[in-house]
Amino acid sequence: MNLALLPVVLAGLSVPFLGTLGTPQQGAVANAAVSLVVFLLTLLAFWGPGAGLLHADELGLVFGAVTGFAGFTTAVANIFYVRGAAVRLGVRRWRLYHVMCQIILGATLAGLYADNIGLLWAAMEAATIAATLAVSLPRTASALEAAWKYFILGGIGIALALFGTMLVYLAAQPALGPGLAAMSFAQLANAAPRMDGSLLTLAFVFLLFGYGTKAALAPLHGWLPDAYAEGPAPLTTSLSGLTLNVALLAILRFSHLLGANHASHGGAMAPGPFLILLGLVSIFLTGFSLSRRRDSRRFFGFSSIEHSGVAAFAFGIGGPVAIFGGLLHLLLHTLIKSALFQALIRAAALRGSTAPGHYAFSHLRGLAHTNKITALALGGCIFALTGLPPSGLFASEFIIVSQTIQREPLASLPLGLGLLICAVAILRNLGPLILAPAPHHAKPVKTARSTYLVLVHLALAFLLAFAMPPVLYGLLSAVAAGLS
Amino acid sequence: MSLTFSLAHLMGGVILLAAFSLLSQRRLAAMITLYQVQALVLSAAAFWQGYAQGEVNLYLTGLITLIIKAIILPLSLREIVLRFNLMRAVETAMPVAVSMILGVALIGVAVLVVLPTTPGNVSLTREDLAIALSVVLLGLLMMTTRRGALAQIIGFLSTENGLVLAAIGMPGMPFVAEFSVALLVLLAFLVVGVFLFRIREHFDSLDLSGLEQIERRGR
Repeated sequence: MNLALLPVVLAGLSVPFLGTLGTPQQGAVANAAVSLVVFLLTLLAFWGPGAGLLHADELGLVFGAVTGFAGFTTAVANIFYVRGAAVRLGVRRWRLYHVMCQIILGATLAGLYADNIGLLWAAMEAATIAATLAVSLPRTASALEAAWKYFILGGIGIALALFGTMLVYLAAQPALGPGLAAMSFAQLANAAPRMDGSLLTLAFVFLLFGYGTKAALAPLHGWLPDAYAEGPAPLTTSLSGLTLNVALLAILRFSHLLGANHASHGGAMAPGPFLILLGLVSIFLTGFSLSRRRDSRRFFGFSSIEHSGVAAFAFGIGGPVAIFGGLLHLLLHTLIKSALFQALIRAAALRGSTAPGHYAFSHLRGLAHTNKITALALGGCIFALTGLPPSGLFASEFIIVSQTIQREPLASLPLGLGLLICAVAILRNLGPLILAPAPHHAKPVKTARSTYLVLVHLALAFLLAFAMPPVLYGLLSAVAAGLS
Repeated sequence: MSLTFSLAHLMGGVILLAAFSLLSQRRLAAMITLYQVQALVLSAAAFWQGYAQGEVNLYLTGLITLIIKAIILPLSLREIVLRFNLMRAVETAMPVAVSMILGVALIGVAVLVVLPTTPGNVSLTREDLAIALSVVLLGLLMMTTRRGALAQIIGFLSTENGLVLAAIGMPGMPFVAEFSVALLVLLAFLVVGVFLFRIREHFDSLDLSGLEQIERRGR
């Protein structure tokens, strides 16, 4: 039975109800309930990965479960967010907002589970449209600017990705012939050595730039900081961050096709240098941009670009271990980043308002004097982002760096330097944000229960990195071996 | 087969020509007309390919293209132009002559990239693909050289016509109709977005140079 279909369909089915019924608060609770069921269904999908178009492989299933989890906790935190922010938008916009939450969640899952390159593209497109609409929801001038930028850049990315998708189909013609087989990832991976190598290379360039736009790799990242900073907080940050994974995994899968073709002298170029270059550019761009950001959401938006870059870099290094490191990095980053944004929204709420524009570091500083638990959660998340030892990201970055030294020694120096610059830039903001004297109008506030979910995220990230369950380890290393 | 060949090439050529004239055109009304011509020829090409390949899917694509892209979208674009009084010339970021030279260079790149990489394919597909890639690149170039939101949208519409042209030329590709519908959803959101959000209220005269505001404020 195709259990992978269920979470996607459920998210889609909830749309008409969320879109027409209830007050904003009821909508938020319903959204959380649907997200919980979706999360449970993503776990259930392990027992029925499906067949045909929506045939989840292990990679999709693992990321699907993490997506479901992050989607659920985001939806819970969202209940508190809506309670405080309900007056800012009308009832109909809140309904649209919750609809967009579910569409993004469903599209992300569909993209992860898709075995068909066309379906993957369609899921990516749906997520883009929903995210753009979400960014534009506050209807302020800057939100509209951000949405427009997202729409144009995202639209170009989508167009390039479609062209690449068609070229992959064409490249598969000599091996698989016309029909659906030439669009299935599983069949393409088997037939990769017999595909038309030069056409596949051309296709990969389009796909890299198309999905690279959605993954916010360096020269194509322009939309991300604005979209993160201007939209309604939980949706545009925590939730739409999940779609970065879809794009990066798509790039990984396509680069595997290219690599397999290259390895068997099919005429394709090796994908490594492309990915390593884009990854390094992303990391350095972030390193230099981070130190100049005053708005915290923009700041952590740039940090997402860094981590996309690290993952792309790891995929470029290649080999089972580096790809394992890259996948682990993505998983941990998803957990930590979505937790971080939940904590950040909480922190902004403690200081009075969660509207865009209330996230400046100077506005949030001295959080420990307002609420210790929130300060601890936010501080923990920010520290985890740096990739210094007790953080889970240390494990994945360690794997990636050591693999780089083994396989591409020349690239290890810029990688280490870039990671260091980013870590320093993040650490510089950590101290004042948590410990500095608070602005005098700020008063101590009680802890909201949703804050504890952030700590659960952090604990999970720690567990995954340092005590990964053997089952998951087996799954991920098999996936990485298959994709290297 | 030779008729299939020459007709498909002719229509591809007209689409490319329309994309190229879009690049040089500075009045919105004329741009919309050019786009309409492009969409009409595209739907004819889809019907023709459907006939040549015997695919019902492609007839459907042609029908969708005809109704929505050649009729409804241009009508709504004209409505926007009328309502917001945008009859004057569009501002360009670089002189038209320069962008035309760049356009020629892009077509050269497209041909040079596609033809050598596809020696194994049927020559109809190869040349169709080269034309389609040229149209896509010209559309993207147009989006970068125009300042107005509407002109950028028309550039995107032209890009998207190139994508559909590539899709209908692929032998037996599944989901062609679905792809064109999915792209249309994106386009519809773009057009409706401009219409509803009244970007004009925020950036007087639909001029997107206001986008730099974000940068100035220090992100």
